[in-house]
Amino acid sequence: MTSQYLRLFHRHVLRYIARHRLLALLNILSVALGVAVYLAIQIANQSANRAFAATIDVVAGKAELQIEGAIAGLPDTTFSAVAQHPAVAAATPLVRGVVTLPDLPGEYLHLLGIDIFSNLPFRTFELTDWRTGGEFDFQRWLAEPGTIAVSDEFARLHQLKEGDVLRAQVNGTEHTLRVAFILRSSGPEASDPHFAAMDIGWAQELLSKRDALSSIQVQLTEPRARDAAIESLRKILPPDANVSTPAQRGEQVQNMLGGFQLNLTAMSLVSLLVGMFLIYNTVSASVVRRRSEIGVLRSLGVSRPEIRGLFLSEACSLGLVGAVVGLIGGLLLARALVRTVSETISSLYVLLSVRELAVTPWMLGSAALVGLVSVIIAAWLPAAAAAKMDPMRALRAGSIIEQSANLSSGWFWSGLASIIVAGVLSVTALTTGPPWIAFGAAFFVLAGFSFIVPAATSRFSRTASRLLRASPNRTVEMKVAAGNLARSLVRNSVTIAALAAAVAMAVGVSVMVFSFRRTVESWIDQTLVADIFVAPASNEVVGPSSFMPAEAIRFLENHQSVAAVDTFREVDVAMGKKTIAMLVVHGTDRRHLRFLRGNATEIMRQFAHEPCVIVSESFGRRHRVRDGDSIELSTPAGPRGFLVAGTFYDYTRDQGVVHMSQKTFLPIWKDDRVSSLAVYLKPGGEATELTGQFRAEFSRTGQFMMLSNRELRRRIFEVFDQTFAVTYVLRTIAVIVAVVGICLTLTTLIAERTRELGVFRAIGGSATQLRKVLLWESAMIGLLAAVVGIASGLCLSLVLTGVINRAFFGWTIQMAFPWGSLALTPLWIVAAAIVAGVFPAWRAGHLMLAEALRDE
Amino acid sequence: MKNYALVSVVMLATAVFAAEWKIAEPGWTYEFPRDHHIHPEFKTEWWYFTGNVTDLDGHRFGYELTFFRQGIRPPDERSPSASRFIVGDLKFAHLAITDVSKQRFQFQQKISRGAFGEAGFDDGKRLAWIDDWVLATNGDDAFDLKATMKDWGTIHLHLRATKAPVIHGQDGVSAKASGAGHASHYYSMTRLETTGEFFIGKRSQPFRGESWFDHEWATNQLAPGQTGWDWLSVHFDDGSELMLYQMRLENGTVDPTSSGTMIAPDGAGTFLPSTSFRMTPMRYWKSAVSGAKYPIGWRVELPEQHLEFTVAAVVEDQELAFLPLVYWEGAIDVSGTRSGKAITGRGYLELTGYAGPLRELQR
Repeated sequence: MTSQYLRLFHRHVLRYIARHRLLALLNILSVALGVAVYLAIQIANQSANRAFAATIDVVAGKAELQIEGAIAGLPDTTFSAVAQHPAVAAATPLVRGVVTLPDLPGEYLHLLGIDIFSNLPFRTFELTDWRTGGEFDFQRWLAEPGTIAVSDEFARLHQLKEGDVLRAQVNGTEHTLRVAFILRSSGPEASDPHFAAMDIGWAQELLSKRDALSSIQVQLTEPRARDAAIESLRKILPPDANVSTPAQRGEQVQNMLGGFQLNLTAMSLVSLLVGMFLIYNTVSASVVRRRSEIGVLRSLGVSRPEIRGLFLSEACSLGLVGAVVGLIGGLLLARALVRTVSETISSLYVLLSVRELAVTPWMLGSAALVGLVSVIIAAWLPAAAAAKMDPMRALRAGSIIEQSANLSSGWFWSGLASIIVAGVLSVTALTTGPPWIAFGAAFFVLAGFSFIVPAATSRFSRTASRLLRASPNRTVEMKVAAGNLARSLVRNSVTIAALAAAVAMAVGVSVMVFSFRRTVESWIDQTLVADIFVAPASNEVVGPSSFMPAEAIRFLENHQSVAAVDTFREVDVAMGKKTIAMLVVHGTDRRHLRFLRGNATEIMRQFAHEPCVIVSESFGRRHRVRDGDSIELSTPAGPRGFLVAGTFYDYTRDQGVVHMSQKTFLPIWKDDRVSSLAVYLKPGGEATELTGQFRAEFSRTGQFMMLSNRELRRRIFEVFDQTFAVTYVLRTIAVIVAVVGICLTLTTLIAERTRELGVFRAIGGSATQLRKVLLWESAMIGLLAAVVGIASGLCLSLVLTGVINRAFFGWTIQMAFPWGSLALTPLWIVAAAIVAGVFPAWRAGHLMLAEALRDE
Repeated sequence: MKNYALVSVVMLATAVFAAEWKIAEPGWTYEFPRDHHIHPEFKTEWWYFTGNVTDLDGHRFGYELTFFRQGIRPPDERSPSASRFIVGDLKFAHLAITDVSKQRFQFQQKISRGAFGEAGFDDGKRLAWIDDWVLATNGDDAFDLKATMKDWGTIHLHLRATKAPVIHGQDGVSAKASGAGHASHYYSMTRLETTGEFFIGKRSQPFRGESWFDHEWATNQLAPGQTGWDWLSVHFDDGSELMLYQMRLENGTVDPTSSGTMIAPDGAGTFLPSTSFRMTPMRYWKSAVSGAKYPIGWRVELPEQHLEFTVAAVVEDQELAFLPLVYWEGAIDVSGTRSGKAITGRGYLELTGYAGPLRELQR
C-alpha cells in the first residue's frame, strides 16, 4: 500500500509539480510569505518579552521578594528594619534611575545603584575592575562620585575605554560619569546593554534620591512561607509600598503588552489567510485539469480517500517547501521588525532595548504548523471534490462544464450569515468580552464577503452581458469576457475573493489608521494648547524619569512674557493589585478636555477645587470605572478613595490614565516634583525670546528640551506613525500576495480553458482578440475584487476601529474616511489586475490550435 | 565568595586619595586613653586582639578578634547631608577561634558600610562595632569584646591590662619600609589578663588566659616591592613579651626597616632593629584551600638578648581564607633558652603574602 501510494505520489504529484514549475513556485511563495510574516511577528514579540524578562533578571537578581516604594520611593531607613526582620535571610537596597548621555545622542544608561556588600547573594552579573582585570578596587568603587560599571556590550558599541568620561543628564542637570568597571551578565540570557551599576550612595546623589530607595530585594529564611513573610513585612513598611515577587512584576508588564502583541499576531495571520485562497485556487485548478487522470486512476481501483490524499499531499508538499522557505524568510524579516516593535514598545509602554532575537524550536515548529494546517484547510474542499468525482463522467472528454455553476445562492446566504455573526461577535466583544472575540468578528467579515463573491460575480457577469448587448459600441471581447466570468465561477470567485480580502485588509487598516490620526489630531487641537512645552532633555529619550529644577520653573513663571505655567508630573500608583498611571496637574489648565458625559466646565471646576480625579476613557473601560464611582488608590497614608468626577477622551496610552490636581495630590503624597511644563505666553509674547533666555540660563549644554506647540505636534505624529509602521508593512505584504494571486489564477485558468480558448480561435477569434478577452477578464476580476474589497474593507474598518481598538485599547475613534485614496483603490487594483493578466494573455495568444482542440 | 568584597577592600586600598590623608610621621606623642580611640585622619586603622585561653576542663583555645577601619574618603570630604550610603570609612572585622584539643579552626568576616549605624567607631562606650561584634572600653586599661560566629557560638572576653602600653618603633613611628610615610603609629598592650566565656547553644563555658592588643594606624605604610610579612607576639613564662616582624621583599631578602620590641617584666620596651634578630623558617604547611605554603615553624635568634627559641603552631591549619585575600594567623607555642635557661611561651604568629601578591594590609 505504502509503496504503491508513493509510486502514485511520484507519478501524479511530483511530475505534475515539475511540469508546472511557475505555478508551484507561486504557491510556495504565498505559503512562505504567510509563514514568514507570522514567524517574524512571533519572534519580534517574543524577543521583546525576553528582553523585558532579562531586565527583570538584572534588576531583581536572585530575589524572592521585591519591596518597591511608591511615588517618592521607600524611605531608606526602611532597609534596616527589613534586613533585621526574622523572615528575611538577606536583603539589599537598590536605587534605580535613567540618565541620558548627550555625547552619544539617543543613548541612555539604566543606572542601578547597588550596595556592593549586601547584594552579593542577589547579583546576576559580575563586576570586574577594568584596570586590574581581576581584583575589585573597592576604593575606586566607593570613593569616587561618578564611577560606574557599564556592560561589556555597551562599552564595545561605543568604543569606551577604561577611564573614559561620559556626560550624563538627569533632572535637568549634567554630571560626569567615569567608566571604571565592566558589568557582565552571568545569567543565561543576554541582558540589556544599557544597564550600568554604581555605588548606591553616589547613585542616590546623582539621581537626587537621597534618603530614598527604589526597592529592597529580599531573600527569605523560609521561602515556602512567602505569604506569611509578606504579611508580616507589610507591618513594618509604609502603607503604599508594594511587596511582590519579581515574576509578578514581570507579569504586569507582559499583560500590558499583551493586547499590542496579540494585534500584531492577528495582522500577521491575514497574509496567511490570503495565501489560503491561492492554495484553494491552485488545487482546484489542478483537480479540474486532471479530470481524466482522476477518472483513469479511479477506474484502476484507486480509492476515493487515496485520490483525496493525493491532492492533499500535493498541496502539502508545496506547503512544506513554502513553510521551510517561510521560516528562513521569517528569520530575516524578524531582524527588520524587531527594531520597530521594540521602539514602539519603548515609546508606548516600557523602556526596552531588544538586542537579541528570541527564536525557539517551538516558534519555528508552530509557524510551520500554522502554514501547513492552513494549506490543508485550503486544499481540503477541492481535494474532496476530486475524490467525489464520478469516474465515468470524469473520463468523458469534451463535456467540461463546471458543475458548481449554480452554487452561488448557498454561498450567498452563508455570506450574509457570516456578516451577521460578525456583528454579534462585535457586540459580544464590546459588552461581555473577552476582547479577542473581536478578531473573530474581523474574520467573519472577511469570510462573509468572500462567500458573497460568487453571487456578486454571476450577477455582474449577467448584468454586464446584458448591458453590453444593449450598448451600441459593444465589443465582442468585452462580452465574451463578461460571460466567461460566470462560466468558471468557482475559480474566478476564489481569485476575486482572495484579492478582495487583501483589498479589504488594506482598506480596513487604512481607514482605521486614518480615523485614528484624525481623532488624535482633533484631540490634540483641543488639549495641546500651550505655546511652549519644557521638560528635562532626558525625558525625551527615556520617558518622564527626570524632574524640573524649581529655579527653572520659577524663572518661567516670573518671565515677563509668560502668562501662565502649568506643571505635570507622571507617577505610577497602586490601585488594588494593579499599577496605574496618574498625571498630577497644576496650574490654570487651559486644556479643553472633552468628556464622554457631563458638563466639561463643571467637571473641570470640581477637578480643580475638590479632592477628586478624572479618568481617561480607556482607563474607565479597562477598569470598569464610571463617573461618580470611587477608585481606591494606595497612598502613603494607606488606601484612599477618590471620586471619579468625569471621563475624558484621551489617546496618550492604551492603559489609561488618571488625572489628579496637584492641590489634591500634595497634601497626601507631599511630593512637588514635576516632570514637564506647559507655558502660555501673554498676547504678543515672543516664544523665541523666551526660549533663548531660558537656554542661556539653564540649558547651555542642552539639559532641557523646549518644544513649540507645532514641534510637539510633529513629534506626537512621529510616534504615531512609528506605532503603525508594522501595520503598514503587513498591509503591503497582504496586497502583494493578492496581486501575485491574480497572476497565478489567470495562468491556471488559461491552462484549464485550453479547449475553450481553442474553440474561440476555431470559430474565428484572432489571437489579438483572445488576448483582449483575457485582459478584459483580468480587468473585470480586478474591478469586482475592488468593489467587494472596498465594501468588505469598510466593514472591516468598523470592526478594527470601533470594536478591536475599543475592546483592546479602550478608546473611541471617530470614523473618518480617506475618500480620495478609497476612490483611487479600484483604479490601482484594476491596473494591477491587468498587469497580472498580461503574461497569461500573451501565452494564450500562442496557443496551438490543433493541440487545444485535440480532445474534440 | 561572600568574602570577596572584604578581602579585596583590604588589599586594594590604593593611593588615590592618599594626599588628603595624614601620614605617620616621627614625633607623635602618645596619650592614653586618647590613642585607644579612632584616628580618622589616617587611612587605615585596626584594633587587633589575640590571645591564648584555657577553659575549666583544661582545653586550650586561641582567638583572634580584629576590627579594621579602611578610610575611603578623608574626613574633610565627607558631608553630613549627603547620602547615608556614601562610605567614609569601611568597617570590617575578623574573628577566628582555634580549638587546640579538637585541632579545629573556625573563622568569619564581617563587612559593613555602616549606613544605618549598624557599624562604626567610637560612640563613647564602644571603640568599634559591626552588628553584634563589639569592642568596648571598660575604664582606661580594660576592654570588653563580644562576637558571635555563625554556626558556632558567641565569645565574650573581659581584658585587663597588667602593663602599660608599649610604643613600637622609634620616635613614635614603626617603619615598614624606607622613605617618609612608609610607617605606622603602633602600640601594644602586651599582657592583658583575660577572662570570659563561650556561649555555645545554651551552654556557657568560662575560660581564662592572656591576650595581646595591637593598635595601629597609618596611611599607605607599605612600599612597592614588599611581598608580605611575618609577625609574631609571644608571652614568655618569665613575664617578658616579644613582638617581631619582618617585611619580605620580592628579591627574597628582608626589608632592613623590619624591627621588633622586647618588653621586660616591668613593662620597659627595647627597640629591636632588624640587625638584632634572625628568623629562620623550619617547617612548612601547605593549604589545600589556597595552595599557599606557610612557614608555621620557626627558629628565632636574638643574640643581643641571649635569647633563642623555636616556634610551633598549635594547629597547622589556621588559615583565614577570605578569597582572594588569604593569610595565616594562629596560636603558637614557643620554647628555647634565655641566657642559658629554658624558657617557654605562648603567642600568635601572622603570615601574609604567601597566597598571592601583597597589597596594603594589616601590620
